[in-house]
Amino acid sequence: MTDDQSPDSGSSVAEKVEHEVEKVEHELEEAEREVEERLPESVTTPAPGLLPGEVSPHPSPFRYVMIAVILVVVTALEVAVSYLEDTIPDALIVVLLVVMAVIKFGLVASWYMHLKTDKPIFRRFFVLGIVAACLLYLVVLMTLHVFS
Amino acid sequence: MTQELTTPGPTMPATRGADAHAEPVVTNPKLGMWLFLSSDCLFFGAFISAFLLYRGRSQGGPSADDVFDIPFTSATSFILLMSSLTMVLALAAIQRGDHRRLRIWLLATALFGATFIGGQIFEFTEFTREGLKLDTNLLGSSFFVLTGLHGAHVTVGIIWLVSLWGLSMQGLLPTAHAERIEIAGLYWHFVDVVWIVIFTLVYLMPR
Repeated sequence: MTDDQSPDSGSSVAEKVEHEVEKVEHELEEAEREVEERLPESVTTPAPGLLPGEVSPHPSPFRYVMIAVILVVVTALEVAVSYLEDTIPDALIVVLLVVMAVIKFGLVASWYMHLKTDKPIFRRFFVLGIVAACLLYLVVLMTLHVFS
Repeated sequence: MTQELTTPGPTMPATRGADAHAEPVVTNPKLGMWLFLSSDCLFFGAFISAFLLYRGRSQGGPSADDVFDIPFTSATSFILLMSSLTMVLALAAIQRGDHRRLRIWLLATALFGATFIGGQIFEFTEFTREGLKLDTNLLGSSFFVLTGLHGAHVTVGIIWLVSLWGLSMQGLLPTAHAERIEIAGLYWHFVDVVWIVIFTLVYLMPR
Protein backbone atom coordinates (compact mmCIF):
# COMPACT_ATOMS: atom_id res chain seq x y z
CA MET A 1 0.00 0.00 0.00
CA THR A 2 1.36 3.44 -0.96
CA ASP A 3 1.36 6.49 1.35
CA ASP A 4 -1.46 8.27 -0.51
CA GLN A 5 -3.79 5.27 -0.12
CA SER A 6 -5.36 5.54 3.30
CA PRO A 7 -7.31 2.58 4.73
CA ASP A 8 -10.45 4.69 4.24
CA SER A 9 -9.96 5.11 0.49
CA GLY A 10 -9.20 1.33 0.23
CA SER A 11 -12.46 0.40 1.89
CA SER A 12 -14.42 2.81 -0.30
CA VAL A 13 -12.95 1.18 -3.44
CA ALA A 14 -13.93 -2.24 -2.06
CA GLU A 15 -17.43 -0.96 -1.40
CA LYS A 16 -17.63 0.40 -4.96
CA VAL A 17 -16.52 -2.94 -6.42
CA GLU A 18 -18.98 -4.79 -4.22
CA HIS A 19 -21.73 -2.47 -5.34
CA GLU A 20 -20.83 -3.03 -9.00
CA VAL A 21 -20.80 -6.82 -8.53
CA GLU A 22 -24.22 -6.69 -6.90
CA LYS A 23 -25.50 -4.57 -9.79
CA VAL A 24 -24.21 -7.05 -12.40
CA GLU A 25 -25.62 -10.00 -10.44
CA HIS A 26 -28.99 -8.29 -10.29
CA GLU A 27 -28.93 -7.61 -14.04
CA LEU A 28 -28.03 -11.25 -14.70
CA GLU A 29 -30.92 -12.46 -12.57
CA GLU A 30 -33.26 -10.15 -14.45
CA ALA A 31 -32.01 -11.43 -17.81
CA GLU A 32 -32.35 -15.06 -16.64
CA ARG A 33 -35.92 -14.44 -15.52
CA GLU A 34 -36.71 -12.78 -18.86
CA VAL A 35 -35.34 -15.79 -20.82
CA GLU A 36 -37.30 -18.23 -18.64
CA GLU A 37 -40.49 -16.28 -19.21
CA ARG A 38 -40.00 -16.41 -22.98
CA LEU A 39 -39.45 -20.21 -23.01
CA PRO A 40 -42.54 -22.40 -23.48
CA GLU A 41 -44.01 -23.78 -20.26
CA SER A 42 -43.25 -27.39 -21.27
CA VAL A 43 -39.53 -26.67 -21.37
CA THR A 44 -39.26 -25.27 -17.88
CA THR A 45 -42.06 -26.91 -15.95
CA PRO A 46 -42.99 -30.58 -15.86
CA ALA A 47 -46.67 -31.36 -16.01
CA PRO A 48 -48.02 -32.73 -12.73
CA GLY A 49 -47.36 -36.44 -12.32
CA LEU A 50 -44.88 -36.62 -15.18
CA LEU A 51 -41.36 -37.90 -14.79
CA PRO A 52 -38.45 -35.55 -15.54
CA GLY A 53 -37.97 -35.08 -19.27
CA GLU A 54 -41.46 -36.34 -20.05
CA VAL A 55 -43.59 -34.05 -22.26
CA SER A 56 -46.85 -36.03 -22.24
CA PRO A 57 -48.03 -38.95 -20.07
CA HIS A 58 -46.76 -42.47 -20.67
CA PRO A 59 -49.09 -44.91 -22.46
CA SER A 60 -51.62 -46.90 -20.44
CA PRO A 61 -50.81 -50.52 -19.42
CA PHE A 62 -53.41 -51.66 -21.97
CA ARG A 63 -51.45 -50.02 -24.78
CA TYR A 64 -48.24 -51.61 -23.45
CA VAL A 65 -49.89 -55.04 -23.71
CA MET A 66 -51.17 -54.29 -27.24
CA ILE A 67 -47.64 -53.35 -28.31
CA ALA A 68 -46.34 -56.62 -26.81
CA VAL A 69 -48.93 -58.53 -28.85
CA ILE A 70 -47.76 -56.79 -32.05
CA LEU A 71 -44.13 -57.58 -31.14
CA VAL A 72 -44.96 -61.26 -30.66
CA VAL A 73 -46.88 -61.43 -33.96
CA VAL A 74 -44.04 -59.73 -35.87
CA THR A 75 -41.49 -62.09 -34.26
CA ALA A 76 -43.59 -65.09 -35.31
CA LEU A 77 -43.74 -63.70 -38.86
CA GLU A 78 -39.97 -63.20 -38.85
CA VAL A 79 -39.37 -66.81 -37.88
CA ALA A 80 -41.90 -67.99 -40.49
CA VAL A 81 -40.20 -65.91 -43.22
CA SER A 82 -36.79 -67.35 -42.30
CA TYR A 83 -38.15 -70.84 -43.11
CA LEU A 84 -39.12 -69.77 -46.68
CA GLU A 85 -35.52 -69.94 -47.87
CA ASP A 86 -36.24 -72.37 -50.71
CA THR A 87 -39.56 -70.77 -51.68
CA ILE A 88 -38.78 -67.06 -52.16
CA PRO A 89 -35.56 -65.31 -53.23
CA ASP A 90 -32.98 -64.65 -50.49
CA ALA A 91 -32.97 -60.92 -51.31
CA LEU A 92 -36.68 -60.72 -50.54
CA ILE A 93 -36.18 -62.60 -47.27
CA VAL A 94 -33.43 -60.16 -46.28
CA VAL A 95 -35.65 -57.16 -47.06
CA LEU A 96 -38.62 -58.62 -45.15
CA LEU A 97 -36.49 -59.52 -42.12
CA VAL A 98 -34.86 -56.08 -42.00
CA VAL A 99 -38.23 -54.32 -42.29
CA MET A 100 -39.73 -56.44 -39.50
CA ALA A 101 -36.67 -55.91 -37.26
CA VAL A 102 -36.92 -52.14 -37.84
CA ILE A 103 -40.64 -52.23 -36.92
CA LYS A 104 -39.90 -54.10 -33.68
CA PHE A 105 -36.97 -51.82 -32.85
CA GLY A 106 -39.12 -48.74 -33.51
CA LEU A 107 -42.02 -50.01 -31.38
CA VAL A 108 -39.81 -50.77 -28.36
CA ALA A 109 -37.85 -47.51 -28.65
CA SER A 110 -40.93 -45.32 -29.23
CA TRP A 111 -43.35 -46.81 -26.69
CA TYR A 112 -41.38 -48.80 -24.13
CA MET A 113 -38.40 -46.41 -24.03
CA HIS A 114 -40.88 -43.51 -24.23
CA LEU A 115 -39.10 -41.65 -27.02
CA LYS A 116 -42.57 -40.75 -28.31
CA THR A 117 -43.59 -38.97 -25.11
CA ASP A 118 -40.23 -37.69 -23.82
CA LYS A 119 -38.31 -34.56 -24.72
CA PRO A 120 -36.80 -34.70 -28.23
CA ILE A 121 -33.28 -34.32 -26.85
CA PHE A 122 -33.25 -38.03 -25.84
CA ARG A 123 -34.42 -39.10 -29.28
CA ARG A 124 -31.71 -36.97 -30.89
CA PHE A 125 -28.97 -38.57 -28.78
CA PHE A 126 -30.20 -42.10 -29.52
CA VAL A 127 -30.66 -41.48 -33.24
CA LEU A 128 -27.20 -39.92 -33.35
CA GLY A 129 -25.70 -43.11 -31.85
CA ILE A 130 -27.61 -45.39 -34.21
CA VAL A 131 -26.85 -43.35 -37.34
CA ALA A 132 -23.17 -43.01 -36.37
CA ALA A 133 -22.90 -46.78 -35.78
CA CYS A 134 -24.70 -47.66 -39.04
CA LEU A 135 -22.64 -45.24 -41.14
CA LEU A 136 -19.32 -46.18 -39.59
CA TYR A 137 -19.78 -49.94 -39.86
CA LEU A 138 -21.43 -49.79 -43.29
CA VAL A 139 -18.35 -47.99 -44.60
CA VAL A 140 -16.08 -50.56 -42.91
CA LEU A 141 -18.06 -53.53 -44.25
CA MET A 142 -18.28 -52.05 -47.76
CA THR A 143 -14.55 -51.39 -47.75
CA LEU A 144 -14.03 -55.05 -46.90
CA HIS A 145 -16.45 -56.10 -49.71
CA VAL A 146 -18.86 -57.88 -47.36
CA PHE A 147 -21.91 -57.07 -49.50
CA SER A 148 -20.36 -57.89 -52.88
CA MET B 1 -52.94 -38.98 -8.72
CA THR B 2 -51.09 -39.51 -5.47
CA GLN B 3 -49.64 -36.61 -3.55
CA GLU B 4 -46.20 -38.21 -3.88
CA LEU B 5 -46.36 -37.98 -7.66
CA THR B 6 -47.24 -34.32 -7.76
CA THR B 7 -44.82 -33.24 -5.05
CA PRO B 8 -41.34 -32.47 -6.32
CA GLY B 9 -39.01 -35.10 -4.88
CA PRO B 10 -35.31 -35.78 -5.35
CA THR B 11 -35.90 -36.80 -8.96
CA MET B 12 -38.81 -34.49 -9.69
CA PRO B 13 -37.72 -30.94 -10.38
CA ALA B 14 -39.32 -28.04 -8.59
CA THR B 15 -41.65 -25.91 -10.68
CA ARG B 16 -40.64 -22.57 -12.10
CA GLY B 17 -40.85 -19.75 -9.67
CA ALA B 18 -40.68 -22.03 -6.63
CA ASP B 19 -36.93 -21.80 -6.62
CA ALA B 20 -34.72 -19.46 -8.63
CA HIS B 21 -32.15 -22.26 -9.01
CA ALA B 22 -34.64 -25.04 -9.80
CA GLU B 23 -33.33 -28.41 -11.03
CA PRO B 24 -33.45 -28.72 -14.82
CA VAL B 25 -36.35 -30.78 -16.12
CA VAL B 26 -33.96 -33.05 -18.02
CA THR B 27 -32.12 -34.75 -15.17
CA ASN B 28 -28.50 -35.82 -15.35
CA PRO B 29 -29.08 -39.56 -14.62
CA LYS B 30 -31.58 -39.90 -17.47
CA LEU B 31 -29.50 -37.86 -19.91
CA GLY B 32 -26.43 -39.85 -18.84
CA MET B 33 -28.23 -43.14 -19.50
CA TRP B 34 -29.27 -42.00 -22.99
CA LEU B 35 -25.69 -40.94 -23.74
CA PHE B 36 -24.46 -44.33 -22.54
CA LEU B 37 -27.03 -46.14 -24.70
CA SER B 38 -26.02 -44.00 -27.67
CA SER B 39 -22.38 -45.01 -27.21
CA ASP B 40 -23.40 -48.65 -26.65
CA CYS B 41 -24.87 -48.64 -30.18
CA LEU B 42 -21.32 -48.20 -31.47
CA PHE B 43 -20.06 -50.89 -29.09
CA PHE B 44 -22.52 -53.54 -30.28
CA GLY B 45 -22.24 -52.30 -33.87
CA ALA B 46 -18.56 -53.29 -33.84
CA PHE B 47 -19.29 -56.90 -32.81
CA ILE B 48 -22.29 -57.27 -35.13
CA SER B 49 -20.12 -55.99 -38.00
CA ALA B 50 -17.38 -58.46 -37.08
CA PHE B 51 -19.95 -61.28 -37.20
CA LEU B 52 -21.20 -60.15 -40.63
CA LEU B 53 -17.62 -59.81 -41.86
CA TYR B 54 -16.68 -63.34 -40.80
CA ARG B 55 -19.96 -64.96 -41.86
CA GLY B 56 -19.45 -67.81 -44.30
CA ARG B 57 -15.64 -67.50 -44.13
CA SER B 58 -15.02 -70.22 -41.57
CA GLN B 59 -12.49 -72.90 -42.49
CA GLY B 60 -13.49 -76.18 -40.92
CA GLY B 61 -15.60 -76.82 -37.84
CA PRO B 62 -19.40 -76.82 -37.65
CA SER B 63 -21.34 -74.19 -39.62
CA ALA B 64 -24.27 -72.08 -38.39
CA ASP B 65 -26.71 -74.44 -40.13
CA ASP B 66 -25.24 -77.37 -38.18
CA VAL B 67 -25.63 -75.84 -34.73
CA PHE B 68 -28.37 -73.17 -34.70
CA ASP B 69 -31.68 -74.26 -33.22
CA ILE B 70 -34.11 -71.57 -34.46
CA PRO B 71 -37.24 -72.76 -32.57
CA PHE B 72 -35.31 -72.75 -29.27
CA THR B 73 -33.77 -69.29 -29.85
CA SER B 74 -37.18 -67.97 -30.96
CA ALA B 75 -38.60 -69.10 -27.62
CA THR B 76 -35.86 -67.34 -25.63
CA SER B 77 -36.33 -64.21 -27.81
CA PHE B 78 -40.03 -64.30 -26.99
CA ILE B 79 -39.16 -64.46 -23.27
CA LEU B 80 -36.88 -61.41 -23.58
CA LEU B 81 -39.62 -59.49 -25.43
CA MET B 82 -42.06 -60.32 -22.64
CA SER B 83 -39.56 -59.05 -20.07
CA SER B 84 -39.76 -55.63 -21.77
CA LEU B 85 -43.53 -55.68 -21.21
CA THR B 86 -43.18 -56.52 -17.51
CA MET B 87 -40.56 -53.76 -17.19
CA VAL B 88 -42.91 -51.04 -18.49
CA LEU B 89 -45.68 -52.44 -16.28
CA ALA B 90 -43.32 -52.03 -13.29
CA LEU B 91 -42.82 -48.37 -14.23
CA ALA B 92 -46.56 -47.84 -14.67
CA ALA B 93 -47.11 -49.43 -11.23
CA ILE B 94 -44.68 -47.15 -9.37
CA GLN B 95 -46.12 -44.10 -11.15
CA ARG B 96 -49.55 -45.11 -9.81
CA GLY B 97 -48.02 -45.60 -6.35
CA ASP B 98 -48.77 -49.35 -6.48
CA HIS B 99 -45.63 -50.71 -4.83
CA ARG B 100 -46.86 -54.31 -4.49
CA ARG B 101 -47.30 -54.62 -8.29
CA LEU B 102 -44.02 -52.78 -8.84
CA ARG B 103 -42.22 -55.56 -6.93
CA ILE B 104 -44.13 -58.29 -8.78
CA TRP B 105 -43.28 -56.86 -12.21
CA LEU B 106 -39.66 -56.18 -11.26
CA LEU B 107 -39.25 -59.76 -10.09
CA ALA B 108 -41.02 -61.07 -13.21
CA THR B 109 -38.66 -59.04 -15.43
CA ALA B 110 -35.60 -60.36 -13.56
CA LEU B 111 -36.94 -63.93 -13.82
CA PHE B 112 -37.59 -63.59 -17.56
CA GLY B 113 -34.06 -62.22 -17.94
CA ALA B 114 -32.65 -65.12 -15.91
CA THR B 115 -34.59 -67.58 -18.09
CA PHE B 116 -33.10 -65.97 -21.20
CA ILE B 117 -29.60 -66.30 -19.72
CA GLY B 118 -30.35 -69.92 -18.79
CA GLY B 119 -31.34 -70.53 -22.41
CA GLN B 120 -28.14 -68.91 -23.61
CA ILE B 121 -26.02 -71.07 -21.29
CA PHE B 122 -27.85 -74.18 -22.57
CA GLU B 123 -27.29 -73.05 -26.17
CA PHE B 124 -23.58 -72.42 -25.58
CA THR B 125 -23.22 -75.83 -23.92
CA GLU B 126 -24.95 -77.54 -26.84
CA PHE B 127 -22.78 -75.72 -29.40
CA THR B 128 -19.63 -76.71 -27.50
CA ARG B 129 -20.82 -80.32 -27.41
CA GLU B 130 -21.33 -80.19 -31.18
CA GLY B 131 -17.76 -78.98 -31.64
CA LEU B 132 -18.22 -75.20 -31.97
CA LYS B 133 -16.01 -73.44 -29.43
CA LEU B 134 -14.64 -69.91 -29.12
CA ASP B 135 -11.43 -70.90 -30.92
CA THR B 136 -12.85 -73.44 -33.41
CA ASN B 137 -13.36 -71.06 -36.34
CA LEU B 138 -14.43 -67.52 -37.27
CA LEU B 139 -18.09 -68.36 -36.60
CA GLY B 140 -17.26 -69.56 -33.07
CA SER B 141 -15.18 -66.47 -32.25
CA SER B 142 -17.61 -63.89 -33.60
CA PHE B 143 -20.76 -65.65 -32.36
CA PHE B 144 -19.64 -66.35 -28.79
CA VAL B 145 -18.13 -62.87 -28.31
CA LEU B 146 -21.21 -61.06 -29.67
CA THR B 147 -23.89 -63.09 -27.89
CA GLY B 148 -21.71 -63.45 -24.77
CA LEU B 149 -21.36 -59.66 -24.47
CA HIS B 150 -25.10 -59.30 -24.91
CA GLY B 151 -25.61 -61.93 -22.20
CA ALA B 152 -23.25 -59.95 -19.92
CA HIS B 153 -25.44 -56.87 -20.46
CA VAL B 154 -28.55 -58.89 -19.57
CA THR B 155 -26.83 -60.20 -16.42
CA VAL B 156 -25.98 -56.64 -15.31
CA GLY B 157 -29.63 -55.73 -15.92
CA ILE B 158 -30.83 -58.65 -13.77
CA ILE B 159 -28.56 -57.58 -10.89
CA TRP B 160 -29.87 -54.01 -11.24
CA LEU B 161 -33.51 -55.16 -11.19
CA VAL B 162 -33.00 -57.41 -8.17
CA SER B 163 -31.31 -54.48 -6.35
CA LEU B 164 -34.31 -52.26 -7.11
CA TRP B 165 -36.63 -55.01 -5.91
CA GLY B 166 -34.61 -55.24 -2.67
CA LEU B 167 -34.78 -51.46 -2.19
CA SER B 168 -38.54 -51.52 -2.73
CA MET B 169 -38.92 -54.38 -0.22
CA GLN B 170 -37.17 -52.20 2.38
CA GLY B 171 -39.39 -49.24 1.53
CA LEU B 172 -36.47 -47.28 0.08
CA LEU B 173 -38.06 -46.75 -3.33
CA PRO B 174 -40.85 -44.20 -2.91
CA THR B 175 -43.04 -43.06 -5.78
CA ALA B 176 -41.03 -39.84 -6.04
CA HIS B 177 -38.06 -42.01 -7.11
CA ALA B 178 -39.92 -43.48 -10.10
CA GLU B 179 -37.19 -42.15 -12.37
CA ARG B 180 -34.84 -44.83 -11.00
CA ILE B 181 -37.16 -47.48 -12.41
CA GLU B 182 -37.42 -45.60 -15.68
CA ILE B 183 -33.62 -45.45 -16.07
CA ALA B 184 -33.24 -49.17 -15.30
CA GLY B 185 -36.05 -49.74 -17.81
CA LEU B 186 -34.21 -47.77 -20.51
CA TYR B 187 -31.19 -50.04 -20.06
CA TRP B 188 -33.36 -53.16 -20.10
CA HIS B 189 -35.25 -52.14 -23.26
CA PHE B 190 -31.98 -51.29 -24.96
CA VAL B 191 -30.72 -54.80 -24.26
CA ASP B 192 -33.98 -56.02 -25.80
CA VAL B 193 -33.64 -53.93 -28.98
CA VAL B 194 -30.03 -55.10 -29.39
CA TRP B 195 -31.31 -58.68 -29.22
CA ILE B 196 -33.93 -57.86 -31.89
CA VAL B 197 -31.04 -56.91 -34.20
CA ILE B 198 -28.86 -59.90 -33.19
CA PHE B 199 -31.72 -62.38 -33.57
CA THR B 200 -32.47 -61.14 -37.10
CA LEU B 201 -28.92 -60.72 -38.38
CA VAL B 202 -27.26 -63.69 -36.68
CA TYR B 203 -29.96 -66.36 -36.53
CA LEU B 204 -32.61 -65.63 -39.18
CA MET B 205 -30.73 -64.17 -42.17
CA PRO B 206 -30.26 -66.61 -45.06
CA ARG B 207 -26.81 -68.16 -44.97
